[in-house]
Amino acid sequence: MTDGVDLCAAFAAHAARTPGAPALLWHDEVTTYGELQARAAQHRAALGALPLLPGEAVGILATKSPDTIALILACLLARRPFLLPSAALPDDVLAKLFAQAGCRHILGGPPGIPELGAPAGADALPIPTDTSFMLTTSGSTGLPKIVPLGREAVHRFVQWAGETFELRPGVTVLNYAPLNFDLCLLDVWSTLAAGGRVVLVDPEQAANGRHLLDLLRRHAVDVVQAVPMFYRLVHDASSAEAPVAVRHAMFTGDVMPEQLLAELPRLLPKARLYNIYGCTETNDSFYHELCPGDGISLGRPLPGVRALLVDDDGRVVPGAGTGELLVWTPFQAVGYLDRRRYADKFGPHPAGADDLRYFRTGDIVRRDEDGRTFLVGRRDHQVKVRGVAINTAEVEHTLLRHPDVVEAAVIAEPDPLTGRRLVAHVRRLAGSRLNSLVLREHCARRLPHAAIPSVVRIVGDPLPRTSTGKVDRIALHSGTEGKPQ
Amino acid sequence: MTNDTSVTDVIKQYIVEEFLPDVAVQDLPVDHDLLADGVIDSLGLLKLIAWIEDRFGLPVDDSAMDPDNFRSVRAIGAFVSHAGQPVTNG
Repeated sequence: MTDGVDLCAAFAAHAARTPGAPALLWHDEVTTYGELQARAAQHRAALGALPLLPGEAVGILATKSPDTIALILACLLARRPFLLPSAALPDDVLAKLFAQAGCRHILGGPPGIPELGAPAGADALPIPTDTSFMLTTSGSTGLPKIVPLGREAVHRFVQWAGETFELRPGVTVLNYAPLNFDLCLLDVWSTLAAGGRVVLVDPEQAANGRHLLDLLRRHAVDVVQAVPMFYRLVHDASSAEAPVAVRHAMFTGDVMPEQLLAELPRLLPKARLYNIYGCTETNDSFYHELCPGDGISLGRPLPGVRALLVDDDGRVVPGAGTGELLVWTPFQAVGYLDRRRYADKFGPHPAGADDLRYFRTGDIVRRDEDGRTFLVGRRDHQVKVRGVAINTAEVEHTLLRHPDVVEAAVIAEPDPLTGRRLVAHVRRLAGSRLNSLVLREHCARRLPHAAIPSVVRIVGDPLPRTSTGKVDRIALHSGTEGKPQ
Repeated sequence: MTNDTSVTDVIKQYIVEEFLPDVAVQDLPVDHDLLADGVIDSLGLLKLIAWIEDRFGLPVDDSAMDPDNFRSVRAIGAFVSHAGQPVTNG
């Protein structure tokens, strides 16, 4: 893609030049650039007929399909901001999000969804000018935060991704993530801007390793970006004889288990491997191309990215050292749509060295003498499990709301298969018959799916405590290591 | 399938042993949604399917991978029964 041409202009140029080239593959059905452009034009015409105010956002449920992609393209072409939440969110959460973004019209989606649109005159938050995508954070509880991304910011990211991963006509990219994930800015949107072909994985088949492997082989996929679990599933489904021909394989969103990493060169012998670090608020900020025998580091900041390490006293760590990672990226949001919540997540340079607004990642990192950066842990109770940000304190709080629970501690343990899993340690009331099934039902009614602990361990004795009276998490970690669930 | 109750019991027994070690077999309702509350996650589902293939001699092809077939003990029982295979001794 050329400098100065934005995502939808680049897409339109490919559609005009090579209308018969494949753009999408969904359930073995090809949508060409010409067909996708025609569908986007139809949606754009329908959009034009709606009574929308200038700058008013519309809602699009992120159900994966070529038609949803055409709808998003229509909004991009019309420069209409759009909120793109997961269709799996409960109706009351969707209604609140649509109200915040002032979306009176919800496009596409099943019947009944349009009623979730905001009533006219609702208290909508102001949307920054030039907003295109509005994504939501994957919070464990409470209302997800809306992250408005500027057209220019998306454009800069699409350019970086296209150049770095050699996206161009004739290249096939697998899209594993749901459409509401920021990962799609790379595997769907950067690919369409570059004239490549996107093979869309049906979320219904996302845990089916045989199916995923079949997609990689049958469609000769060149580029993959996915959470580590994807590689685990494909690895377990593959035989040694016929490795796949992927050229660029990126993993992100979670800890890559060492054991799985060691297997990847055999599974993907032609692939350059990359660890990508980013979040919805800033998009990708670090990446690291792995060399054989190399440990996993976050690598170095992407071109144009500013990264700071800040110690507990709020001072910037100049060279090698450990601190919380603050980043500014050319791709980031200027802030959350709701500026009143979490205002402290975006802030100025701690020493006033520039005028940028930095994002506090909450990640504690270590930087070595060579400038390489390694993840050490979290400042707060945030952990990522299978790519979803979970606040363990909120899960503990939910467990404690059950009348038979006396104490609860939730920790994230390394898992050889998935990278990380949530383990709940619960002390039940003396004499109660509380079991894990009852607690799971209790959690399922109050927490999103990813926040339900993988393992629920119920005991009658007090949980171990430190000398200061806090739950001794280190003791809990070492006490469960290696035990079956 | 000649005896649906025994199939249900076999499935219940397996689910409890594999996924709910602290739960008594009689405390697991046959209609309990095992996917909604994470008793069986996506990897657990693969484990369960491998077990069904092995225990009942039933190849589960991709067209049958619909999670709804495995949502509860009753659903798994219906899936196994409809496949019309005899229960092997294992």
